[in-house]
Amino acid sequence: MTNHFGDVVAHSKAMLVIGANSAAANPIGMKHFLQAKDRNNAQLIVVDPVFTKTAAKADHYLRIRTGTDVAFVYGLLHIIFANGWEDKDFIESRVYGMDEIKAEAKKWTPEVTADVTGIPASQIIQVATLLAKSKPMTVVWALGITQHSTGTSNTRILPILQLVLGNMGKKGGGCNIIRGHDNVQGSTDMCCLADSLPGYYGLAKGAWEYFAKSWGVDFKWLEDRFAAPEWMNAKGFSLAKWWQGVLQEEQTYSSSPIRALWVQGNGITSMSQTAKIQEALDKLDLLVIAEPFVNEAAVITSKKDNVYILPVATQFETEGSVTATNRSSQWRTKVVDPLYESKTDHDVMFEFAKKFGFYEQYTRAMTMAVKDRELAVVKNDFSWPDDACSEIGRTLKTIGLGGWTPDRLRKHQENWHMFDPLSLEGMGPMKGEYYGLPWPSWDAEHPGSPILYDTETPVNLGGMGFRNRFGLEHEGVSQLAADAVTVKGSNVKGGYPEITKENIEQVLGIQLTAAEKEKMGANWKVDHSGIIQEKCRKAGVAPYGNARARTIVWTFPDPIPLHREPLHSSRPDLVQKYPTYEDQKNNFRVDVKFISEQQAQEWVKDFPTMLVTLRVVNLSGAGMLERTSKYLSHITPEMFANIHPDLALQYGLRDGDMMWLHAPQGTKIKVKAQYSKTVTPDRIALPYNFAGVMQGVDMSENYPEGTRPYAIGESSNTITNYGFDIITQIPEFNAGLCRIEKA
Amino acid sequence: MSNEQARMKFFCDNDRCIECFGCTVACAEAHELPVGISRRKVITLFEGIEGKEYSTSISCMHCTDAPCERVCPVDCFYVREDGIVLHDKTKCIGCGYCLYACPFGAPQFPRDGAFGTKGAMDKCTMCAGGPEETNSPEERKLYGHNRIAEGKVPICAAVCATNALLVGDAEEVSAIYRKRVSTRGKGA
Repeated sequence: MTNHFGDVVAHSKAMLVIGANSAAANPIGMKHFLQAKDRNNAQLIVVDPVFTKTAAKADHYLRIRTGTDVAFVYGLLHIIFANGWEDKDFIESRVYGMDEIKAEAKKWTPEVTADVTGIPASQIIQVATLLAKSKPMTVVWALGITQHSTGTSNTRILPILQLVLGNMGKKGGGCNIIRGHDNVQGSTDMCCLADSLPGYYGLAKGAWEYFAKSWGVDFKWLEDRFAAPEWMNAKGFSLAKWWQGVLQEEQTYSSSPIRALWVQGNGITSMSQTAKIQEALDKLDLLVIAEPFVNEAAVITSKKDNVYILPVATQFETEGSVTATNRSSQWRTKVVDPLYESKTDHDVMFEFAKKFGFYEQYTRAMTMAVKDRELAVVKNDFSWPDDACSEIGRTLKTIGLGGWTPDRLRKHQENWHMFDPLSLEGMGPMKGEYYGLPWPSWDAEHPGSPILYDTETPVNLGGMGFRNRFGLEHEGVSQLAADAVTVKGSNVKGGYPEITKENIEQVLGIQLTAAEKEKMGANWKVDHSGIIQEKCRKAGVAPYGNARARTIVWTFPDPIPLHREPLHSSRPDLVQKYPTYEDQKNNFRVDVKFISEQQAQEWVKDFPTMLVTLRVVNLSGAGMLERTSKYLSHITPEMFANIHPDLALQYGLRDGDMMWLHAPQGTKIKVKAQYSKTVTPDRIALPYNFAGVMQGVDMSENYPEGTRPYAIGESSNTITNYGFDIITQIPEFNAGLCRIEKA
Repeated sequence: MSNEQARMKFFCDNDRCIECFGCTVACAEAHELPVGISRRKVITLFEGIEGKEYSTSISCMHCTDAPCERVCPVDCFYVREDGIVLHDKTKCIGCGYCLYACPFGAPQFPRDGAFGTKGAMDKCTMCAGGPEETNSPEERKLYGHNRIAEGKVPICAAVCATNALLVGDAEEVSAIYRKRVSTRGKGA
């Protein structure tokens, strides 16, 4: 999130909610949109393939065909550019590459857009006008945007819309991307991912060297942990396709097949291709599950031996910080000690590290601190969680966690009542700080940054330009912000590069002492000494630079976002015009099919109904926690699919009849047909939050005694179609096809 | 606040209710209700119809002139000074007259038992317990948690994610809603 929920209430005049159903997935977030409607007369525009509970509160509801978000936004941009409604000053001074976007938008007339998206041209014109004329306007999205084979393009085109309208870095504007689970932002920032070290540092050698130093271990020791040095810089298997590492059906690139799986805090039964996950689980040598509730990975497998379930404590049995969707940190206090034999997550990992023989290295950084401008071991033992928090704060400079000391975060927790819920500003003794120190909070004096890229606010009070991340120039064009964009109160006029040891004297116009030069790291991201940040503070400069936002990513297959039809498209005529990508070699150690899958056959002939997956409000993720509550289970006691009566009756299905749903990959699920007018007759919608039944087979007997949830059922993800994003490899959960058969 | 005697009321702002079921689940958890006893229900009307669909949360409305109290043949109902309508489960014969009289379908009856007989009626107490000694184990067993006696807001409204469900002195409730309506479009 560039802004935050309170900011929407306080300032937004319009809200474009696309691919997000906050009423079901984030009711507390939804409150803020309703408050903005009440207080600001803010128009709520909801774009979704299904008439959700969020759509029910909309002023304008646009029923989009699945997988056509890029086309829709270009349709908006076409109208905005045609009428000259773009923010020319903003684009001129803070954006790179808008001409290419403009050229692409030109093709997307309301008529073309209507044909592709299924949204009437008149509605596209109406909403484009509304969005351009209601400022500030905020864009809100969630997994309906990201979970596509074109997910990366989707997540790029929406910020581009905000750049065009000049809504970035403004109160009431920005891109508010909603996280659906507790601490998802925090685990993303820590990069619980296969392609990056914590803090988005990536896997390059320099990043490993920085972390080796930060952890107080030899680089060589780290390197020796890998089968061969080259694996250190290679992405691992992703959560989306790890099972191919076991099954090896598609080409994989790894030192060995995957033989053991350790699942901690992840509902992998809610991932797509659940039938493949089941096969892979069956084939593993070892499966270890560490969760407070039984992870149904242990249930959908018929594996009898070498499955271990470790009881892990809940959030109430441990202490520490979590990161909210708006980048604020929230400290949590332990309510009770871990119950029975369960252990906290970190204790489980410490015990493993001891057995594996690297506990000392694993925990060393928690005994370290910066002393005399150098990182050194300063004590013999650590105290949890304070020293872990300090380690994170002093290490993750890329996102500016320097201000997140345990003392400050505790103080914020203890003084909730002293913060304004709409502006996040502190009052009384907390004056001058924003609640939870939303990152970047560059250093221990920094108040946090409630709104990203706000140049009207001094850096030391939470302002900044765009980050200079992609070099100084591209094709002869400067990537730095224009001279007109001076961040308020900055000593440096106009744009400036990210600060390095090499350029700091010139950019800031200062002279370093010999001692400072000696202790300073190579650049702001790896400077343990803290000197770069100190000098930046004095100059009112953000260490990451003041640059242009780019619309062109020259390293991506689509340098600017382009509409590409889903792999399993309901419109074969459009597949020819907007084909998907070439098949992909080795992303996250595995090949991925694109065009070969899309053109293998005219899928819609055999699978004529669009498949939309969704979340029900009473179950989150794989539902393994909530389905153990009898009251939550009572709301949706069994798996179902929402189906329009007109479609159901084509198959002789009465309300409540059972039906089989078949997927292109040959899988099927048996679910109850639930008549609903939230869907049109061309599509059905079904939740993914169930597990325990696989392709008609009840797996109940695999639950350890006394752990069977009140509700079990088929998961929609057993029939979620094949498809993965070309960059992130997130599965295509949201655009696919299926065939209905009366059971 | 008025000097008049407080009269406790619920109000659900249908522009705010998103059918999240938070109120019903919290109610069931707080009072440890059997599954199927819905002291509070969330209902959605015109589902899927653009421009018409809305959701609302409903329970005993603690009527000023409560029809349940009028029709009860054993006179098990009583109205507290603050307007909360309660009943005595030890007197109730489970006849179901109150269910027919109630315009909101608030009275609930156990579904198990011999031949599906009704058993003692159960309904929303506005988290105010019953005639047994306040906060006693007997009160808790028969009527659930007495939050009002502990100075707490009824659990359903306390957990409402969107502040749709309001509860309290009728004048306070209407003041909150009046402010919400009259400041519409006036800014935060």
